[in-house]
Amino acid sequence: MALRELKVCLLGDTGVGKSSIVWRFVEDSFDPNINPTIGASFMTKTVQYQNELHKFLIWDTAGQERFRALAPMYYRGSAAAIIVYDITKEESFTTLKNWVKELRQHGPPNIVVAIAGNKCDLSDAREVLEKDAKDYADSIHAIFVETSAKNAININEVFIEISKRIPLAESAGGTSGKAFKLGRQASESRRTCC
Amino acid sequence: MALQGPEELGEQVEEPEDLDDQDASSISPAEEITMPSGPGGDDEPEEALLLPWDRFSAWLHCICVVGFDLELGQAVEVIYPHHSKLSEKEKTSICYLSFPDSNSGCLGDTQFCFRFRQGSNRKSSLGVFLETTDRDAPPCLKREQGHYYGYVYFRQVRDKSLKRGYFQKSLVLISKLPYVTFFHSLLKIMAPEYFEKQEPCLEAACNDMDRWPTPHPGRILTLPIMGVVIKVRIPTSYDKPGTSQLVQSAQSDSQVSIVLPTIHEVDLFRCFYPVFFHIQMLWELVLLGEALVVMAPSPAESSDTVLALVSCISPLRYSSDFRPYFTIHDSEFKEYTTRTQAPPSVILGVTNPFFAKTLQHWPHIIRIGDMKQAGEMAKQMKVKKLKNLKTLDSKPGVYTAYKPYLNRDEDIIKQLQKGVQQKRPSAAQNAILRRYFLELTQSFIIPLERYVASLMPLQKSISPWKSPPQLRAFISQDFMKTLEKAGPQLTSRLKGDWIGLYRNFLKSPNFDGWFRNRRREMTQKLEALHLEALCEEDLQQRVQMHSEVETVDLVLKLKDKLTQAEREQLPVRPGTVAKLRAHIDAVILALPEDLQGILHKPSTP
Repeated sequence: MALRELKVCLLGDTGVGKSSIVWRFVEDSFDPNINPTIGASFMTKTVQYQNELHKFLIWDTAGQERFRALAPMYYRGSAAAIIVYDITKEESFTTLKNWVKELRQHGPPNIVVAIAGNKCDLSDAREVLEKDAKDYADSIHAIFVETSAKNAININEVFIEISKRIPLAESAGGTSGKAFKLGRQASESRRTCC
Repeated sequence: MALQGPEELGEQVEEPEDLDDQDASSISPAEEITMPSGPGGDDEPEEALLLPWDRFSAWLHCICVVGFDLELGQAVEVIYPHHSKLSEKEKTSICYLSFPDSNSGCLGDTQFCFRFRQGSNRKSSLGVFLETTDRDAPPCLKREQGHYYGYVYFRQVRDKSLKRGYFQKSLVLISKLPYVTFFHSLLKIMAPEYFEKQEPCLEAACNDMDRWPTPHPGRILTLPIMGVVIKVRIPTSYDKPGTSQLVQSAQSDSQVSIVLPTIHEVDLFRCFYPVFFHIQMLWELVLLGEALVVMAPSPAESSDTVLALVSCISPLRYSSDFRPYFTIHDSEFKEYTTRTQAPPSVILGVTNPFFAKTLQHWPHIIRIGDMKQAGEMAKQMKVKKLKNLKTLDSKPGVYTAYKPYLNRDEDIIKQLQKGVQQKRPSAAQNAILRRYFLELTQSFIIPLERYVASLMPLQKSISPWKSPPQLRAFISQDFMKTLEKAGPQLTSRLKGDWIGLYRNFLKSPNFDGWFRNRRREMTQKLEALHLEALCEEDLQQRVQMHSEVETVDLVLKLKDKLTQAEREQLPVRPGTVAKLRAHIDAVILALPEDLQGILHKPSTP
């Protein structure tokens, strides 16, 4: 079975729960008192997708403003970006839109974008309507889910959706009998933001 | 033949603990799926105890930024992490060594390295831990004891907005690890980002490094840094020399992950190219620890050449001081350039033309021209007379009166020349040259290994109730006698005065360093065998036959042994230490209760 390394970065405002999403995905745990990330932290997890192993090299970036300029190091070469906002903070959704713009201008051309509305367990304090976010995600052909790292809702699903949208390995495409999938891959990639 | 411990060659003692899973040559990154996924990537039990900044300190002492201040001159602008300690003297050294000498142009980006003496004796709280990780490293890759390396990425570009008209800055990694290629690759990732994005960048990089696994020989290490994953394997002393360790997988993207095939090997062919007719003589000079100076047009060239010289006798460790880049501001400048004594056993790399005069009296001088014009083949076959070296404008070449002991190997020269004509890739030329040096060094060292192994006492002379037997003394004449039958002629077709070469080598610091290391290993082996023999004894029975005083004495001795085994990490069979502990407890239990109380107290270190 072929192993593919897929670089994935998490972007978004400070405190929206990027690190918590990664911890839930990789370690299946949750710590409410997590420290703010410095620069970025790195974790890996390997999952099987069809007959490939996807090793996610996850760069969980710092949301704090002083690390803003470092972001290109993490989205450079990324196969996917998960942009996270907090459904209880309208402002974090505005930041998200700026990230989408930046990726469109400077990110890798075929990057798969996933939008995660985190903290969906706090729907009482909701400021961003699910429909608004969904419509926006659709308009840029991004994956969209509302997640809760705390209650383990939709965390694995984000990564499964990313795996589905990752184009098949180019080098294998030409020689093996996977040609029919290449067609689908082309249409998939058009649905990404860039 | 591999250069391993004396156990390899001697028949007196059994094989040491088995060394399987150490042979990890040629592992493709795709094979290491089982890597732990946690933040540390490598959660050994001993690593779980590490505190913040411990992992960082296992790799680097600190990171410095050296800039140019119009009033102060060169100055250390930033030290990161902020709590790292450097003495004023060390800072001054770093300042001068991090910039090229003024008149070597170096526009654009330049990488080089330097080495300087550690100013104050700084005890690392990690000391013992690092010693264990270092134990399996080959001699030439062990952590430095009294020196630091400085790995420099220097940028000099025109900038009209600055008063000086130029932007000049160096990012410098200070470390005790001699992983030249690794740190240069690391700087290639870090420095350009740093020059653009300043301190948050250093903060992020240091934070990444502080989650790295410690530099443990033999493991494949995954080292995430600033959005890229570097994969390396630090060789062990059990590796078959000359084998490459990691292979880059075909379709990997350098913005995602990088596999470094080596952490320390420099491109020997490129470095020796300007003087390659003389490689064998240079090998002799380095082997014998002769005073050597490399005069080069830039710090990059001087440091590359010095490192190539030092590594050409690998797997022997070069035991004298060497300075890949040395300046007139260096704290050892006076000590090394004095004319009142014979030049010291050191290798210096210099760029300042002033040295052509200062070091005129040195016996061996290598002059390197501008390597950018290397398209032209080095033509001077002849060694130059020293008196012809007067100024910086002197022609490239080797200036010495030295007469090599061994006859020149024309084959290697022809082979390399042919490679140049056929435009053989540089990597292939480098591999040929590296193998040539390796075989030469091994042919030279094997007779010594064999003789030293014969100094090991017979296994049957080890008695549990006597102190471990001593190694027999190294007697030069005895060794020389072995050469007749078992000399280098067995593995090398080179003719010449091998005896003379050995005689001189035995007086050199390299022999001293090598022998001291061997003796330590063998003494530890004897201690280990002795300990194992002791553990096999029926102590209970012995205790019954002896008085209380003698039993107490035995307990104390056993406890000493235990402490030693743990402190020195003696190469004992697995389970031996546990067995010894059980023995101690059993003997104590056989004593009266009042004594038990006293003896059970954990011994204070």
